[in-house]
This record gives sequence, C-alpha cells and structure tokens, in this order.
Amino acid sequence: MSNINENTVPDSLLDFDDDDPLGATSVSKKSLVIFFMIDTSASMRGKKMGELNTVMEELIPEIRRVGEADTDVKIAVLTFSTDVKWMYSTPISIEEFEWARLEASGVTSMGAAFEEISSRMSRNSFLNSPSLSFAPVIFLMTDGYPSDDYKKGLKSLKSNSWYKFGLKAALGIGNEANDDMLAEFTGSPDTVVHAYTGSQLAQMIKIVAVTASQIGSKSMTLSDESSKELHEEDVFAAKQKLLGQQIQELVSQDDTSNVSFDTGW
Amino acid sequence: MFSGFSSSVKGASHEIKNIVCQDSSAHFAGENYAVAVVADGHGSKKHFRSNIGSKIAVESTLATIEKFYENPEEFDSNFPKNHDMVIRNIQKQIISRWNVSVAEHFRNNPVTSQEKADFTKEEFAKIPVESYYGTTLVAVVACKEFSFGFQIGDGSLVGVFEDGSTALLIDYEESNPANITASICNANAASMFDSFYIGDKKVLALYVSTDGLYTSFGSDDDFLDYHAIITSQLSEAEAFESAVVKNLKKRSNYGTQDDISLSCIFDKELINSRLGVLKQKIKENKQRQISGKVKQN
Repeated sequence: MSNINENTVPDSLLDFDDDDPLGATSVSKKSLVIFFMIDTSASMRGKKMGELNTVMEELIPEIRRVGEADTDVKIAVLTFSTDVKWMYSTPISIEEFEWARLEASGVTSMGAAFEEISSRMSRNSFLNSPSLSFAPVIFLMTDGYPSDDYKKGLKSLKSNSWYKFGLKAALGIGNEANDDMLAEFTGSPDTVVHAYTGSQLAQMIKIVAVTASQIGSKSMTLSDESSKELHEEDVFAAKQKLLGQQIQELVSQDDTSNVSFDTGW
Repeated sequence: MFSGFSSSVKGASHEIKNIVCQDSSAHFAGENYAVAVVADGHGSKKHFRSNIGSKIAVESTLATIEKFYENPEEFDSNFPKNHDMVIRNIQKQIISRWNVSVAEHFRNNPVTSQEKADFTKEEFAKIPVESYYGTTLVAVVACKEFSFGFQIGDGSLVGVFEDGSTALLIDYEESNPANITASICNANAASMFDSFYIGDKKVLALYVSTDGLYTSFGSDDDFLDYHAIITSQLSEAEAFESAVVKNLKKRSNYGTQDDISLSCIFDKELINSRLGVLKQKIKENKQRQISGKVKQN
C-alpha cells in the first residue's frame, strides 16, 4: 500500500522546463463573469442612453485593469425593453470586448430579463468554464418600473444558486426608478445607488462596476485577520457586505452636481 | 494487473500564507483490485484540523475497501448484483471509520489554546469536534470485471476507456455552483455521496482529483484531454510521474493557486495494447481544439 501523500513535492522538482507532453496543456486563470442587465425601454431614450453608452465605453478599459492581475474577467450584457436581448451570444473576455452602442424603445420587461439571466447562469450555458472560480457579478440598471410581472421573474432568479452566491448591485436612473424594488433584486439597500444627473450616472456606474469587479475577483479563500481561511459561505456573505459598505462609502464621497435628469436633460 | 500513482501539491496561495497543504492522496494497486483516493480538507477557520481530517479520510477509504475485499471471489461475484447497496455500505463504513479515527485523534490531541485563540468561548463551543477535521473525499475502485467510485464534496472522477474515450464519471452538481462543499463531517454525510458503477466496459485508467486541478482548465474537453495524455504515457509511469507532479505544481501556480491532488490507477498491459488507439484519439482531440479556436476567431 502506498503512503499517504501530504504535500510531497520537493522544491527541486519545481523548475518548469516543460519538456513533457503535458507542457502543451494550457492553464486557465481564475475567471469571473460580470453580467450587466440594462433597461433599454423608451423612457431611457435620449440623454440617459447616450450617457450610458459613453460611460460603458469608458468603463471597459477600467475593468480590464481589474482583470489584469490573475483573473480572466468576462462580460455579458443583457438588455431589456419589449424584448430581452444579449449583446453577444456568449460572455466575452474583457480583452476582446467591444461595447455595441444601445438604442432605447418599447416597454420594460424586467421580469422576462430576470428569467432569461437565470436560464443562462448555469454550467450548461454561460457559466460552463471549469476555471470559473468566482460567483458572478450582476449589475442591474433601470430608470423605471417593470411593465411585466417582475416578481415572478425574480422568484425564478432567486432560486438560481449562482444568483444566491453572486454579487448583486443596482442603479436607479432618474426620479421614476424605484429603489425598494431594486433592493428586492440585490437583497440589500446598501447595494442600490441612484443617479439623478448625467455626471452622477457616470460616477455611479463606474463606482459600482469597478468595486464589484474588484471584490468579485478576490480569492474564494479570503483570509481573515488570523490568516486562517474563511469558509466559502462566509466569503460570499462577506463579499456582498463589503460591496455594500464600499459602494456607500464611495457614493458619500461623490460630489457631482445635483441637477435632475428629469428636469435638466 | 493494476498499477497506480498519487500526489498532492501545496497551493501557491498556501505557500504565501504559510498554510499547510490541506489535501491528502493515496493509491493501492493489488492483484484483485486497485483504489485511488484524494481528499481536500476544507481549510477554513472552524476546520482547523482539516489537513489531518483529509489524511484520515484517505486512510479510512483504503482500509474500508480492503475489508470489503477480504474474500475477492465472493466480492467480485456478488457486487455486480447489488452494487448500489454495497457502495452505500462502503460509504457508511468509511464515515464510521473516519469518525472513530477523528475521535481518537481528538482524545490524544486535545485542542490547544492556540487553536482556540481565533474564537470567542461561545463561538468555539458551537463547533462540533468532527468539524475541526472537515474534508471532501473522492475515490475510485477498479476490479477485474467492473469499477466503481464515489465522492462527497467537490472534486473530479475521470475514466479513460479502451476505445480511447474519456468521461467525467459523476456529473457536476448545478445546485452547488460555487464549490460550497458537502463534507464527510456533516451529520447526514451518508446521504450526501454521489457514486457511479461501470460493469460493461474496460477501463485503461481511472483518476480522482481535488477541485484545484479541474478549475485550472478552461473547458471540460481540455480537462478530459489532459487525462488522455497522461494515460498515453503510463507505460513508462515511473519516469513520467515526476513530470505529472511538476505539471500539477505549475497548474496551481498559474491557475487557481489551490492545493491539487491527483491519484490514478491503471492497467498497464491494457494501455500498452491500446496505445495506438489512445494516441490517435489524442491527435483527434488536438485537431478538435485547433478547429475550435479557429471557429472562435
């Protein structure tokens, strides 16, 4: 009977000369998928959508920097108006991602969007990579109230385990967006922010997306002060809490002008 | 005639934080049967002895299979008729042995003040003793006419068959997406095992690994191809083993930085007789990878 192996590798074996058949097998970095759920209904038409397109184009290089270290960040964008549509048919690596400018029209089928994202957050669909070490980030942006039965869609989404362990954040745009409803989606008011102006919109999207990407891509085996690893369940809860704290901290520092979307645009 | 190898490498993140390797692995290759087993200690705060728990899990598995195989003829003849029931009994016996050994270790090694230091008195009182030792367990057994395996918690089981094909032997659990692991220390551990049985085809090799290996791959196909390549080299297993170990370390360093364990049992004669088929399959896999990349681009 063989001995039980406990970390049996001597240091002399660790020079990577790669002169073996396994040298050609690629190693994947840890990966994270960021889902953006974006309201493209008619009420978003005009400056809101124009600003959102501009911010998202600027945001991609910023998120790219988050992923440079040791995480492969992938982006999936779901838009919802009368219909729900994916910007691309599969999550795209941030290195290759290009923002396709969005246009606004139709009603706000948010419930249908919740159902669609739930069906894609599966090992058999968008989350099929073994290297997917991190639960996804899901960032919802909307300026109004759903025109369909969002509670039914949200119930379906909440039964998805990836949603349960994912980082959720939401941005309400303008006066009509309902922060209580958005908190139902994120599970906490701390991870809901609101933008009433164009400059706030830019700030909030960047704050939420960059902070969520940074926290989302932290190692699953986060250490606590005692340098022991935390249990995964504790890590998920700690990450969501940290996201809320950091968002609120950054939002309170934000000094952008307070001219309302609905009056000033 | 079966052969085997097994190895555990310490994760890069554990090196940095000076945390001990939580994985254990082992194999046994005898005349009538062979076993490959790995265990991944949870390593988190309340599982502060999980490196010992994973070692005990591996030992308990080898000892339990040995006990069940006391009479090889009888086992080989009865097992195929009642495989589900026997596998369940094996799992229960492993849990029982693990609990007995854990209790003994705890008796002989009372909790130190240093181990308690990270908890308040109330927090510590709430942790069951067996949780100190929490671990996953993944095992495969190859017999002359059949093979079987089981797992509790995350980890992978891969079979390489005589036609050169490869397969994940237990499906990914969608309800457990982010590696929230089931554990041998759970009160209802016996109900948390998944298992497989193969009675209708010959295996060239069977592998078990902890999740640090699987998560270092970009796709299931790449992961399975990796096992096909290793199998094609097993006719020179002794020489190839150090290359596998080196590769595991590289995968930890450049991948998820987790501990990685891989344990394998194989039929060297059968591999030698099917080497041509295996190499052809590897060539086809490579072609598939190249055409997949071209399609993506």
